[in-house]
Formats: sequence, structure tokens, C-alpha cells
Amino acid sequence: MLEKEKLRKADVYSGIIIFLFGAWIVWQASKMPMKDSWGGVQNVWFVSPALFPLFVGGMIMLLGLLLVRTALKTIGLKAFGNTLQWLFSKELFQFLNSMSNLRFYAIATLFLALVYLYIPRIDFFLSAILFLNVFILMFYFDEAELLKKLFFFYLAGTVFFIIYFAARIDGWLSQAFPFAKDILALVFLLAYCVYAWRLIRHSPPLRRKYRTGLIVAFVAPLLVGSIFKYFLLVPMPAEGLVVALLDAIWYFEF
Amino acid sequence: MMILERIGTYFQMVFHLAADPLNILILLSSVMLGIMFGAMPGLTSTLGVALLTALTYGMDTPTAMLCLLAIYVGGTYGGSYASILINIPGTAASAATALDGYPLACKGEGGRAIGLTTTASAIGTIISMLFLVSISPLISFFALQFTSFEFFLLAFFGILISGTLTSPDLVIKGWIAGFLGLFMACVGRDLLQFYPRFTFGIPELDSGIEVVPVLIGAFGIPQIIQVLKDRFQIGETQKFQRILPEFGTIVRNIPRIIRSALIGVGIGSVPGIGEDIAAWVSYGTAKNTSKHPERFGKGEITAVLSTEVANNACVGGAMIPLLNLGIPGSPPAAMLLGALMLHGVTPGPMITFEHPTFIMEVAAILLLASLSMWVVGMLLAKQVVKVLRIPVQLFMPIIGILCIIGSYALGINIWNLYLMLPVGIISYFLVEMGYPIAPLVIGVILGPMADENLRRALMVSQGSFLPVFTRPVSLVLFLVIVWTVVSQFPAYRQFKNKLMDKVFRRKSCEADFDSDAPEEG
Repeated sequence: MLEKEKLRKADVYSGIIIFLFGAWIVWQASKMPMKDSWGGVQNVWFVSPALFPLFVGGMIMLLGLLLVRTALKTIGLKAFGNTLQWLFSKELFQFLNSMSNLRFYAIATLFLALVYLYIPRIDFFLSAILFLNVFILMFYFDEAELLKKLFFFYLAGTVFFIIYFAARIDGWLSQAFPFAKDILALVFLLAYCVYAWRLIRHSPPLRRKYRTGLIVAFVAPLLVGSIFKYFLLVPMPAEGLVVALLDAIWYFEF
Repeated sequence: MMILERIGTYFQMVFHLAADPLNILILLSSVMLGIMFGAMPGLTSTLGVALLTALTYGMDTPTAMLCLLAIYVGGTYGGSYASILINIPGTAASAATALDGYPLACKGEGGRAIGLTTTASAIGTIISMLFLVSISPLISFFALQFTSFEFFLLAFFGILISGTLTSPDLVIKGWIAGFLGLFMACVGRDLLQFYPRFTFGIPELDSGIEVVPVLIGAFGIPQIIQVLKDRFQIGETQKFQRILPEFGTIVRNIPRIIRSALIGVGIGSVPGIGEDIAAWVSYGTAKNTSKHPERFGKGEITAVLSTEVANNACVGGAMIPLLNLGIPGSPPAAMLLGALMLHGVTPGPMITFEHPTFIMEVAAILLLASLSMWVVGMLLAKQVVKVLRIPVQLFMPIIGILCIIGSYALGINIWNLYLMLPVGIISYFLVEMGYPIAPLVIGVILGPMADENLRRALMVSQGSFLPVFTRPVSLVLFLVIVWTVVSQFPAYRQFKNKLMDKVFRRKSCEADFDSDAPEEG
């Protein structure tokens, strides 16, 4: 949580956002049938589907306003003016560039890419191994410079995959080669491992961490994924190269 | 006669569950897993229950409950390991334990402290289980008299009180979080007219927002981001020798144990407030009533006992409103509610009719879980403590994968993932800005109950709110809600202080007058 004074300054903005959000709920709810007929039934206001959202939206608006009032009362209008100035100053850029925020961007990018890009398209086991490998090596080395380099390497690979899927290259490549996207993901994973190794190869403690990280990143998804796939019989979101291989082993499909 | 019959049924269930070696194996392994979740700083029993819910999907209801309750009990107790040995509370519930547990470990009495917390936690859970069994029929009978107005007010009260008591900053933020949860519950087709609300033509939203992915996202993702963003490091673990249960100390402290258990059960049964508040209140009470308050914070054994009994007694306490009213008493109980719904059990006043033996079953599981926790704690503590050496950078990403596969596996729906992640990231920002997460989650859970009952009540009364004031229970709930809101405003506090001043001044004036008055005769 932020410090008290910073918190009050942030409260002004969060209060405004919450007020606007409440107003949006009320606006959306006002489009719902209040007294008109729906599904052949004539409505009355107290049975209307809008009743509860109107109440909730109204309360959110009211509480948002109260929050803004409380925060402004505590910090004063002058301090609020200073935060407005800060929003358009160089300090904001420095703040956004801070190491702690870079860590946040890295974690958020990893999760967003995994959920919206890799899991729906690439073999679950490969996606999970890639995610864990990148995540663990980025943070386990515990060095700002390494984190930055590894994050940008991963970002470049992810941008490549976004273009690859957005330009529909996958469509015709998959027709020519089976498991094309999985093979590409595997190549990306190996490239990441090699790049990380090149960065840390001169430091014995980091080499030890690299080995541990790699083992965990490969073993954990295979273990967890196999439990869900073969014991709980949960089909994976995308099944490709690794699932085909595991199926062959599990069902003796040789 | 009926009581004897109930006791007989209860012990029959205990023996029935204990007779199956598979159940014992599940109990022991779940308790162990729970202890690990509780012990690792950054992981909580709520997250443990959330992640394991996906694994229990294919199990039958009693086995799933066995698994989840054992994790809950183990997780609540496990937090004390990190508190005592590294001075970092494994869970918020054991933060108060660290105050005196760590000084004890520094004095070389870590084994003694762990032994006592193990026994105290087991006793706390058992006492709370007794309350669950004895109070539940009464609450259930009382709740059957409730009509839609009472249920709406009860749900509303649950959200408000949870927002009031769990907010780390301004109370308004707790309420905002609760209402945001209520909004999330509005998404989907409404239950009375099937009208699509806030679905934007997305068919996946028609059935509403799934509770379990929201819970996993709201509790799991902010935890992962916080721990890794702030470069959380686990300190060096204090060494300890033998672990002794010290029954003599326990017997000497029976009144304190009973008091702490009552605090735990009481706080646990208030909607949305968890084990952490129970532990702090119990710590404060123990200090205030102690003959040696100056020893607190320096390694006082009664302090450790009070906090651990209270936080584990909270488990059974949280089950009372959960099972009888369908209102979760704590964040892990909210998670359990999601799991119960997945298994086709809808907690509430009708549970005694739909599943007559369910509450007894839960109580039997709680007893067995507390005994398993004691056994695991006494025998395997030294091995469990080894998990504290695992760096957070290694296990947090794995928790991330578990959050993802757990959300997906419930319903085998990738949409759950698309929902879980934004909820998690928004929750992270909310936590950073001092908004509590528990009211949000409780809002999502209680939203449909509040919505449906409000409209149903108004339908019966033809749009009139008068029954709120004419029905005694409604009126009491309404007044409590008004007082909860009004008491948070400075104007009310000023008015109260003025009133108190006037009353006390008049009393002291009268006392002065009486003492100055010449004696008669």
C-alpha cells in the first residue's frame, strides 16, 4: 500500500474514476426496461432488471464523490494542484521508468501474453514452460540489469508472435508443417535459454540459479499439467506438440 | 433425547470418515499442504483453498470437503511457523503471533512455541467445531423465519460490515470494494426476467461472472505481483530443538484458551472478517487482562496461545453463517462457498432439509482435521520448516501457473482465464490504493442473493418498503445497517463525544455535589 499522503492524492483520482464508473453503470441501467414490456411481460419498476444496477451504480457514484471530498479535505486544493503539475512533468516519466515499475510491467506482460496470446494458441505445456522459464530466470537472478535485458528479449519474441498470428502467417505455415507454431515457440524458448546463459555464464552463483530455475521451469508444468490432463481428465486449452508426445507415451501409441 | 441422537450421529460420522484409510491419507496430505501454504510468506490459506478447489472438482462432496477444510485448518495454523521462526507472518492471521513467537525463538524456545501453538490451534478448532454443531440448528431455525426483505438486508449488512472492518485505510474504500463486487454480480442474465445486463452481446457473459475465477484472480494475482515487485526476501530461520506439546501449560491456561476461542468464534461468525482480526483482538484482550502486560512483545507464552487459539477458532466460527445463511464468515470461507456451489451444495437455511447431515459432516471433518494438524505439527514440523528455505522467486511463478490452470479447469472454459487476469490486475491496483479485497469477493458472492431478494420482496409488497419497518428482524437489521454507516462519519462521533461528555459531567457533578453535601443528622 502507498504512504498516507500519496494515498490521499491517489484517492482523488481513484474517486473520480469510481464516480465515472458509477455514472456509467447508471447510464447502462437506464437503458434496461423499467416499465415497458420485456419477453411479453409488462414491467413494473420494482421487478425491473434495472433496479439493482441503478442502486449499485448510484451508491458507487455517491461513495466515489465522498472519497474525492475526503481526500481533497485532507490534502487541500494546493497539493492537488501540485499532483496535476506532476502528471505533466519529467518526474512522472522517471517514476514510470523506475525499477519497481519495470518489475510490474514484466509480471503483467508475462501474464497477459500467457493468457491472451500463448495459452489459446500454443500447446499448454510449451506455453507454461516458456512462462515459467522466463518468469523464474528474470526474477531469480535478482539483478536489475539482467531483468531488463531478459524482459526486452521476451518482449521482442512476444511481439513477433503477435505479428505472426495477426498476419495469419500461422494459417498457411501450419498447412505446410504440422505443429508449426509449437515448433516456433520451442525455438523461442531455446533462444531465451541460450541468451540467458550467455548473460550469466561468467558468474558461478548465477549459473547455479540458472540450473535450478531451468529444472523447476520444466518439471513443474509437466507435473501439474499431467495431473490435470491424465488424472483429472481435463483437456488442455490448446493441445499440440508436447501433448501429442505425452499422449503417445501415456496411451502407448508407438 | 434428540441431543443424544445428534451426538451419536456425529460420532458415527467421525468413525465412518476415520475408518477409511484413503480419507486419512487425504486428511494428512491436505493438512500438510495447508501448513506449507500457510508457512510460506506470500501464500495464504485462502489461496490454498482456491487452487485446490479445481483439483477437487472430480471428487465426491464429502471427500472434496475433507480436502478443502483440512487445507483451511492447516493453512491457518501453518502461518505461525514463519511468524515464530523468521519473524515474517506466513499469513495475516499469524501476524500477532510473530510479536511474541519470534522473541521466544530467539531465546532458544522455538520448539516450545511451535509445540504450544500446535496444541492451541487444535484446541481452538475443536472448540469452534462444538459451537458449529450446537449453534447451527438454532440459527437455521431462526433463519427459516426470514423473508426476502431480511435476506436482502442480511446480504447488504454482510457487505457493509466486511467493508467497514477489513478496510486498511478509509472505510469508504471498503464499501466501494463491496459495491464493485455487487456490480460484478449484476453481469449476466438477471434471475427473474432473464434480461441480459452488461453483457454487450458476449454470449460467454450471459451466465454471469463465475465466482471461482474471480476469487482466484482477486486473491492470487495481487499476491504474486506484490511479492515479486517489492523483492520480498525470506530471512534466516531460527533453529529449534524438540517440539513438546506442554500439556501442563495448556491446562494452566484453560480460562485464557476458552476466552480466546470465544473471541475467535464470535469474530469468525461476523461476515467477511477473517482470522487476522480474531488474532489481534485476542492478543489485545490477553494483554489487557494480563497481570504482566509488560512481558507482552518480549516472548510471552500466553500471547502466542491467545492468538493461535483465536485464529483457528475462527475457522469453525466462519462456518456458522456460511452453512446456515449462505454468507461467508471469512475470505477462505468465501472460497469454500464457491467450492460447495460447484459440488451442488447450496448453503443457507434450507441446508438442513436438502442435506440433513451436512453440518454434522463438516463438524466431523473439522475434528479430524484438527487432530491431523496436531499429529502433522508434532511429528513433521522440522520437515515442513524446510519449505521456508525455498526462494519466493521460484514458487511464485508456479503459483501463477496454478492460478491459471485452476481457473481454466473449473468448467473447462478459457473465458474464465480472460476474466481472471483483469480481475487480478485491477485487484492489485485496488490493494495498492488501500481498498480491501474481501468485501469485493463477498459482494460477488452475495450479489445475486441481494438482487433477487430485493425484487422478490418488493414484488410481494407491491413496491412498498413498509415491511422493513413492520417486521422486527428487518427493522433490527435496518437499524444496524444505518448505525454501521452513520457511526463512520465524524459528525456522529462528535455528537457521541459531546453526549458522553454531558452525561459524564452531569454524573461527576452529581457525585461532587453528593460528596460536598453535609451529612444529615
